Amino acid sequence: MVFLTLSRWIRSRGPDRYWKVQELLKHARHFRGRKNRCYSLAVRAVRRAFVYATKGRKLKKRNMRTLWITRIAAASREHGMKYPVLMSNLTKNICESSEPRSFLALAKLARARQQEGFCAALGDGKEPPGVFSRVVLQQ
Amino acid sequence: MSSFSRSAQQWATFARSWFLIDARLQPPGKIATMCSVRLQGKHKPIYHALSDCGDHVVVINSKHIAFSGNKWEQKVYSSHTGYPGSFKQVTAAQLHQKDPKAIVKLAVNGMLPKNLHRRTMMQRLHIFPEDELPDDIRANLTEELPQPREIPKKLSEYTQEEIDAFPRLWTPPEDFKME
Repeated sequence: MVFLTLSRWIRSRGPDRYWKVQELLKHARHFRGRKNRCYSLAVRAVRRAFVYATKGRKLKKRNMRTLWITRIAAASREHGMKYPVLMSNLTKNICESSEPRSFLALAKLARARQQEGFCAALGDGKEPPGVFSRVVLQQ
Repeated sequence: MSSFSRSAQQWATFARSWFLIDARLQPPGKIATMCSVRLQGKHKPIYHALSDCGDHVVVINSKHIAFSGNKWEQKVYSSHTGYPGSFKQVTAAQLHQKDPKAIVKLAVNGMLPKNLHRRTMMQRLHIFPEDELPDDIRANLTEELPQPREIPKKLSEYTQEEIDAFPRLWTPPEDFKME
């Protein structure tokens, strides 16, 4: 390490290795057992955890989709319709662009809902002063 | 509702309903499918695997279930306790003779997800061999589910007029001898 000034040197406590270890243990503090305090155990666990996190980002999308399908299936069963029937007919009627006007209507409805969501999230419909975002552009 | 509040809605949403299924002359597998969906809560649009939103299911007449084919003789239930020489195999008929609830219970148990919630969900399944229910369970019932299979009518249940009115392919002559 290069200490440019005396004050900097005073502020940097402990050796470099200590801070490197802390940087890693930061990710392992919530683990169970000695993994959350012993470096040699923690380093393996953290590497594994990051691998899981990478895989989990894809799995999350898959799991959410299955959950949605289960819920839509349950809701459509309440009205006496099966999920595959509902979906095939929806795609036939909307996405085949056999009815472009109703597709346009649905798209407009979705857009309006999105706008409403933005306004609701803002509260009084305004950003705090000095903040520039896509919401400001819409106003 | 005199005072409309979200909390009352929440209570109504997560309240458990009690379903009644009559298993008389029904295939146990189809009964078990209906049970497992309700026990898991997969019939609700708010379903989540961790939210414990399953309902109670009461199955009556489990003694009078009907297997198709020759499953009573050929279907084998195997068990092993882990001790040497404890491998047991009984046919469906033998098991049913010993415990009239066992076949439905095993079928539902096999259709539920194999996790720690399975035991909780099985506790919400109430099986009765006959159609007599204890009063505390009868008081809870909210809905009866339709039977998956239409019960075929026996010949003895038809009246003589219905039998006579049935269209015949061939009328036997007067002097016809039935072998």
